[in-house]
Amino acid sequence: MSASIQSAKIGDSVIRKEDHRLVTGAGCFSDDVNLPGQAYSVMLRSPHAHAKVLGIHTKNALKCPGVISILTGQDLITDKIKAIPHRPFSPHPADIMLTNSDGSEMFMAPHYPLVVDKVRHVGEAVAMVIAESLAAAKDGAEAIEVDYEILPSVTDTVSAAKKNAPRVFDTAPSNVCLDAETGDREKTEQAFAKAAKIVSFTTWIPRITGVPLEPRAAVGEYTDNGRHYTLHAGTSGAWRTQMDIAIMLGVHEDHVRVITKDVGGHFGTRGMLYGEFLLVVWAARRVGRPVKWTCDRQEAFVSDYQARDLAVEAELALDEKGHFLAIRGSNISNAGGHTTNFSPLRKGVEIMSTIYRMPAAFFRARGVVSNTAPTRPYRSSGRPEVIYVMERLIDLAALACGIDRVTLRRINLLQNHEMPYTNPFGMVFSDGDYHQSMEKALRMADWDGFEQRRQEAKTRGQCRGIGIANYVDTASGVPRERAEMTLRADGTVEVIIGTVSTGQGHETSFAQLVTDWLGVPFDQVKILTGDTQFVKFGGGTHSGRGLRLASIVIHSACQTIIKKGKRIAALLLKCEPSVIEFKEGVFYQKGELGQESQGGPVSLTQVAEASMGLTDLPEELQGPLRAIGDETVTVAEFPYGCQVVEVEIDPQLGSLKIINYTAVDDVGRAVNPAIIHGQVHGGIAQGVGQALMEQAHYDPVSGQLLSGSFMDYAMPRASDFPFFNAQYIEIPSKTHPLGMRPAGEGGTAPALGVMINAICHALQDYGVKHVEMPATSERIWQAIQQAQATKTS
Amino acid sequence: MPNVSLTINGKKISQPIEARTLLVQLLRDQLSLTGTHVGCDTSQCGCCTVHLNGKGVKSCAVLALSCQDSVITTIEGLAEGETLHPMQQAFREGHALQCGFCTPGMIMAGIDMVKRKGYELDEKTVREELEGNLCRCTGYHTIVKAIQAGARAMKNL
Repeated sequence: MSASIQSAKIGDSVIRKEDHRLVTGAGCFSDDVNLPGQAYSVMLRSPHAHAKVLGIHTKNALKCPGVISILTGQDLITDKIKAIPHRPFSPHPADIMLTNSDGSEMFMAPHYPLVVDKVRHVGEAVAMVIAESLAAAKDGAEAIEVDYEILPSVTDTVSAAKKNAPRVFDTAPSNVCLDAETGDREKTEQAFAKAAKIVSFTTWIPRITGVPLEPRAAVGEYTDNGRHYTLHAGTSGAWRTQMDIAIMLGVHEDHVRVITKDVGGHFGTRGMLYGEFLLVVWAARRVGRPVKWTCDRQEAFVSDYQARDLAVEAELALDEKGHFLAIRGSNISNAGGHTTNFSPLRKGVEIMSTIYRMPAAFFRARGVVSNTAPTRPYRSSGRPEVIYVMERLIDLAALACGIDRVTLRRINLLQNHEMPYTNPFGMVFSDGDYHQSMEKALRMADWDGFEQRRQEAKTRGQCRGIGIANYVDTASGVPRERAEMTLRADGTVEVIIGTVSTGQGHETSFAQLVTDWLGVPFDQVKILTGDTQFVKFGGGTHSGRGLRLASIVIHSACQTIIKKGKRIAALLLKCEPSVIEFKEGVFYQKGELGQESQGGPVSLTQVAEASMGLTDLPEELQGPLRAIGDETVTVAEFPYGCQVVEVEIDPQLGSLKIINYTAVDDVGRAVNPAIIHGQVHGGIAQGVGQALMEQAHYDPVSGQLLSGSFMDYAMPRASDFPFFNAQYIEIPSKTHPLGMRPAGEGGTAPALGVMINAICHALQDYGVKHVEMPATSERIWQAIQQAQATKTS
Repeated sequence: MPNVSLTINGKKISQPIEARTLLVQLLRDQLSLTGTHVGCDTSQCGCCTVHLNGKGVKSCAVLALSCQDSVITTIEGLAEGETLHPMQQAFREGHALQCGFCTPGMIMAGIDMVKRKGYELDEKTVREELEGNLCRCTGYHTIVKAIQAGARAMKNL
């Protein structure tokens, strides 16, 4: 295989181990799992956004041929199934805390996999039909009659926050579940009082949905013998799913096994437990056979956890020279129909000033519920939203103050000597050379040559625009990760790790680490993951924590293996462990590498064989050579970078073409450049998708999701992009022991801001100040018409 | 139940099926050829693309019964033993996949593109021709390049 002949160390674009199976159709995604005797299930979902469920009549449905059972929320209660254990914030000490400013508790309400009182969004599961075939289950679902008392609904974020809005939870005083303040109000007011210029910006970062290409699917099993539940499903980490299911079932975690194989995308959408995963294992117990559920795409649109949806009012104060003095405003995050997650609110507001010097800041941060699908973090959770706001404010300020946009950024962008920098919300940015990344991006994009290109475009009747946005991404998330490493006598190294790849190529990049650090051939490293039978802990894949934490625990395990190996090698070479050195997979006595010495050098494989074979070894060295790396990393990483985008707009049509997309990311230390570039490209596409076309559009009156299929929800396609001009820089992180910075979210973080900045720049001559997202051709065209009408009037 | 007879990946199949069975259901559910994926229900995503009598089709939009006496190739039928098809090889070498869910459809669509458009595919053509195949991971950058590389490599087949 070509993988074995190419170098496969840190820094090499190794061909991925995963890809042979994935290009031959031999992958195993959730819906590819089928168990003997399995029954099929479908979810009957609410057609209403907000309604009391007065009764569910299943008599006729149960008579449908092939229908085995119909389960409802009442059955969950009868069986004492607990609510989904949502964690509104991930527990990381580097993030700020948001608490109600009046000192009261944040409002949280139980979320059951099947409705128990009233439906709170279109698509919420009301009943589960289990049948001999999928078709029979669908027939059964159609025959169920539900009595709904339809209630007024609210989907819009700002409207939901109002006192007189329809109440999503009767037990709450309003839809505002969290109402926090952060920053320094007094200092901020003082700064605004002496400002030479104040720029304000009110916007809404639309609701979108993650759309991993693989729809969710799950198969549940139950065996009476041992009362054991098994779930086969695509998750972002099997261990957390196991914990959550055990909590809901009220059983010890040992009674639950979760198996995750190939996962067809995640982007944050799979980061919390989905109710259906509990339902299939519970139903399997109920009906005495395995139960399968496969989500279809339209169902995914109404029931996947959705994302973004932040309403912002912000003001930036500047002095007469353009120095930023303060930022203030209000953020309202829409959690949807359940109190699932408020993390994007926090992740955003805590870096509202991004990587600019900001002496003071004050923000009100509210989390509201509404009659929409629940939301949770989506690629670069919270940050693309606020980076967009900050970068728009800067461009608006540049116009208002008559200062060049790049100059304004240069003036205010933090300098190296100011690091570590504590921002006005209390976040500490450890290190970073923000000017280097920005200047590199400007050069790569030939910013200085833009005017000439603009003139050329003008001769063709086209409007060219160029935009710039800097970003910082706060990588925190679950701080603990664990790797178990075993060296087999045949030289194979097995690494069990909790974090699961959902496309990031862990089998490859993690193996490269081991190859580099232990000198083991790449083909002999096996990364084992996704099965709680052997995975004892793993925080899941999110917050740029995959390689960031895996590298730390794998490094730690490698060090232990080497340490143990030195002791065995010393016994084999009849010397003291202190004189043994290790390099490139070989143990040798100091100064004797390459020389014929007394029995040395000894390979790692020989050491592994000895640990299995020699009976006179100390007890702790006998058996397979093993090591565990288990670390809790309480420092966050702050990857950063800059993007520059050049667009061309046809003013007659409002149509837009991306001419050049430049991205610079500091990745600290690159493990697999091809994988990094892939992450950046994909991240850009998701950010651009949000900026230009995507929206989960709810009808404001009925609460219906109008974008419920690929016919209605605009997905970015190949023809929407050019080849990307992406490069990374490697300035080793000062807070990561190996210098690495996450690279998975940087593509998305500045993409919203840079796109809208480029569009507004292109339309500047028309007097267009701003275009809201998604900046569709229609919106761009309308903006031109309105600006012209204003001009002539 | 009616019967359908067809050749899939060089193997003759004769199978009783419900009349409403879609080609993708026959492949996945009855023949366990799970490399062909289902990513939507409106024939937009292209994950289920296979070759029907040499032409690329979305198998979620074809009734299995209509394939009587047809020749079908799926992603599982491309490689010859351990030797990958040049398009598969191009995707693998070009890092043209991340999660891999859209990949079988992309590869089948890529080969179909070469058959219709030739071995020298410019960027614009590839991007336009990918109208019916969605990818959420890659931003299409490496996919477009892999299809161009795969197309050139197919010249030597």
